[in-house]
Amino acid sequence: MSVTVLTAEERISHATQLQLTWWRFRKHKVALVSGVIILLFYLVVVLADFLATSDPHATDARRSFIPPQAIHLFDDGKFRPHVYGLKGIRDPRTFRLRYAPDPERKLPIRFLGRGYDYNLLGLIPTNIHLFSVEDAGPVDGIFLLGTDQLGRDLWSRLIVATRISLSIGLAGVGVSLVLGVLLGGISGLYGGTVDTIIQRLIELLRSVPTIPLWMGLAASLPADWSVLQVYFAITLIISLIGWTDLARVVRGRFMALRTEDFILAAELAGASRGRIIFRHMLPSFFSHIIAATSLALPAMIISETSLSFLGLGLRPPAISWGILLQDAQSVQSLALAPWLLCSAVPVIVAILAFNFLGDGLRDAADPYG
Amino acid sequence: MRIRAVFAAGLLSLLLAETAAAQPSNLSASGLVSEPEGAQIVTDPARIPRQFREAPMLAERVRAGTLPPVEQRVPAEPLVLQPLREIGRYGGTWRGAFNGPGDGENGNRINASDMMMSWDMVGARQVPSVARAWEVSADGRRTTLHLRRGMRWSDGSPFTADDFVFWFEDLYQNRAIVRAPMPELQVDGKPGRVIKLDETTVAFEFDAPNFLVVEQLGAQAGLGGQSYRQSNGLTYGGYAPSAYLRQFLPKYSSEEEVNRRARAAGYENWVQYLHFIKDWQLNPALPTLGPWRTVSPINTPNWVMERNPYYWMVDTEGNQLPYIDRVSLSLAENMEVINLRAISGAFDYQARHLQLANLPVLLENRDRGNYRIDINLATYGADLALHLNTSYTADPEIGKWLSNVDFRRALSLGIDRDQLNETFWLGLGTPGSVVVAESSPENPGAEWRRRWATLDVARANQMLDSIGLSRKDSAGFRLRTDNGQRLVLEVLAVQALQPYPRQLEMIAQQLRRIGIFLDVKETERTLAYTRVQNNQHHIFPWSNSGSEKLFLVPAYVLAVDPINSANGPAYAEWFASNGARGRRPEDPMILRAQELYRSAASLPEEQRNAAAQEIWRIAVDQVWSIGVVGVSPGSFGVQLTSNRLVNVPRRSCIANHCRTPNSAYPQQWFFR
Repeated sequence: MSVTVLTAEERISHATQLQLTWWRFRKHKVALVSGVIILLFYLVVVLADFLATSDPHATDARRSFIPPQAIHLFDDGKFRPHVYGLKGIRDPRTFRLRYAPDPERKLPIRFLGRGYDYNLLGLIPTNIHLFSVEDAGPVDGIFLLGTDQLGRDLWSRLIVATRISLSIGLAGVGVSLVLGVLLGGISGLYGGTVDTIIQRLIELLRSVPTIPLWMGLAASLPADWSVLQVYFAITLIISLIGWTDLARVVRGRFMALRTEDFILAAELAGASRGRIIFRHMLPSFFSHIIAATSLALPAMIISETSLSFLGLGLRPPAISWGILLQDAQSVQSLALAPWLLCSAVPVIVAILAFNFLGDGLRDAADPYG
Repeated sequence: MRIRAVFAAGLLSLLLAETAAAQPSNLSASGLVSEPEGAQIVTDPARIPRQFREAPMLAERVRAGTLPPVEQRVPAEPLVLQPLREIGRYGGTWRGAFNGPGDGENGNRINASDMMMSWDMVGARQVPSVARAWEVSADGRRTTLHLRRGMRWSDGSPFTADDFVFWFEDLYQNRAIVRAPMPELQVDGKPGRVIKLDETTVAFEFDAPNFLVVEQLGAQAGLGGQSYRQSNGLTYGGYAPSAYLRQFLPKYSSEEEVNRRARAAGYENWVQYLHFIKDWQLNPALPTLGPWRTVSPINTPNWVMERNPYYWMVDTEGNQLPYIDRVSLSLAENMEVINLRAISGAFDYQARHLQLANLPVLLENRDRGNYRIDINLATYGADLALHLNTSYTADPEIGKWLSNVDFRRALSLGIDRDQLNETFWLGLGTPGSVVVAESSPENPGAEWRRRWATLDVARANQMLDSIGLSRKDSAGFRLRTDNGQRLVLEVLAVQALQPYPRQLEMIAQQLRRIGIFLDVKETERTLAYTRVQNNQHHIFPWSNSGSEKLFLVPAYVLAVDPINSANGPAYAEWFASNGARGRRPEDPMILRAQELYRSAASLPEEQRNAAAQEIWRIAVDQVWSIGVVGVSPGSFGVQLTSNRLVNVPRRSCIANHCRTPNSAYPQQWFFR
């Protein structure tokens, strides 16, 4: 038997906690896939404008309610992706604007082609997009998911909405995390009156029905705030409730660990309070915090979406998932432009992915269990 | 004295046909826009029926002895209506929609024949209604109404000149009930009087000429009849059921007695109780004059009305109207629900709340829902007007630009109206200024539709540069001249009659090309109105619906109404308070327009029309409000009629003063 080959049992006993967690997590295939999906979502967040095919704010009556458009990959047997130019004619009997592809006008799709101006990563001014139709007239373009009433490209809007909705979720969870760990930690560590006060506060906050509370807070935002100010305010409002869950988890962990033998040992060995907390206690439940965080994210995203859908969260010209869904709720869009409903798809996918990922992380977080 | 009870509608239909011709060709090609048509009032004595018939449900009550026979219920001088297509048959329930207790207008308008006069099918001439005839004295100081002999309230009590005097003396002049007098009953700040001449003759008298009051006696105005003006806490209207209401007034018993009754009914005092008692939408026991009276009030999920057994209109064969037994309006607070129900065929007639944007859907479901769709065109100039606050002072820099005529004109030239028309009006509206339709005698001429109301980006940019707004930031937006910050104009957009927030999103995109930054704020309706009335807004998008009769509804054109004049609330306040409050306009054009409006009441019709034309010329040239798209089927213009319902005109006047669908005479509609 070679020295380098270890038995499975030996491998486990030699592995670090991080390795163990990873091995355990790998077994949870759904969580793994979800993790990849979420990485892709955040890639979209980072590269939003690069992936958009046309200016998400640009309106034009001549392209109102264009249905999703097919991309033709081959032209005369050669690989030359293109879309057909569209011609909109108003039906004289129903006044519906109908679009017919014009086979004479093939619009070639260029990879890394030029489009509207933006700042890549918020820093580098450029107009290169992943793919675009160059030198297009005002009505021409690639409309992968169709357009809305104002003639804005739904694909590009969804991409930009993803950036706002997912980053609101992340920022919200960030604030919750700080509040939760801080207050939960204090509560668990000190106990007594401090603990009682914090716990009653948590119960109070959790007993208020969330949607009416959010509505109340959101409605009290000054009407003359800019989109950016509203964005931050909504993040704060959402995380104001989100921290309570985390605080409970952290407190419970602190209380359980406080009486553990290895903590006692560390205390007897003369370790300082700070060293005990940060070197011994925190690492042993760090994974739990990550799991709780990933489970809190979907709730945050849903909150923003519902608030905006109800018209209380973000307002146009901001673009978020909730705002896109709000556009899709009229009879008109149900009957004339059902493709507007596909704004719901990324919401569902993202929420499911976050939930599965959180589930997998929670299972993996306790590798000895 | 000049008798004006006779009318001729045929001539005027020609005028409206002209507007139809000016519309985009796809509208006339659709076959959805017809010539105006309608039931006719018969005045030829030879055609007045002598014998009357009644609905089966009333005949039953007559047989049971709970109702007098029809001969005793119909007045000696009934209004005789020649139905649009054929004599109808009795029965059926008309199903429609209303969107909550605040939507009383839905029923008011169905019952709007309780006005003194109505308007003909094109909305150009007044025709008899409650009043059989009327005359205006040559000096304009006295307007006399002739009532119908033997006319009765819906409870059978007689309707006479006493009901006018009772309203005037016991209700209107009682400041406990009516806090503020209405402008319609004043000339130059001096109150008018209501006088009984005999049982069936009543006069409205003023100290100075008032040629306007005759129009206000049958319109969306203070004297607009009982159903409209004595509901929702108002006590205007012109007349009231004296025999019934006396018991609720302290004058006829005692303060303690009426208060005791009020408290017994659960109200704090008699005034509050009276506001409930005289509201036809809430109190089924209230005597009314309309074709249908409430049986299940408006604060229930189904607002149900039933025929008035004493209704005073008959058809040419002597059948007492209305033909339809009941009107049942179902509650749907959400507009989308109303539109969905319409598609599924849940309504027999509905025009209010149907949205133009849904026209394709409504048309595609015609066979399934067994209904037809007709398109009516309004005659007011703008479904969407951007009212610019010319009296704004809170931010002097913004105020300086909003009161600069070249700035306002440049904004107007930066708007691409065709784009908006295509997107929101399906190409069926008329892009242009705020001016009333060319068919109106108040229109100053066809050239005013496009004055300062075409797309001209180059000219707009050049105008803005030359008035001193030439400096721009890196994004291309113009900078303020005081602190070098970006010039930001705030728009209070309310989701209402039109999808204003969406429309403004598009306009904001368009104005980028002239370097103007619009900050569009979707705002709740009440909040927006509070800010407008407090002179706190920059730009307020709203329609100018009602301005097709400029002197009946001047608020959306001129700074004269402190409640609704969003293009200069402080100037309107100054005007309405005779200089006591608000601010005097420095702009001589605003002063001139206000003066023209003030003098209008003293002018006979032709001179009044000339004054209206002059006001329109000034308003369009000064661009106090930027007209975008109007003269369209934007509101009330999409009319859904069940294929079972007969005698509904394919086209009739849709306007505030016509009280749509009153001019289409719902009384003579019937189910096949």
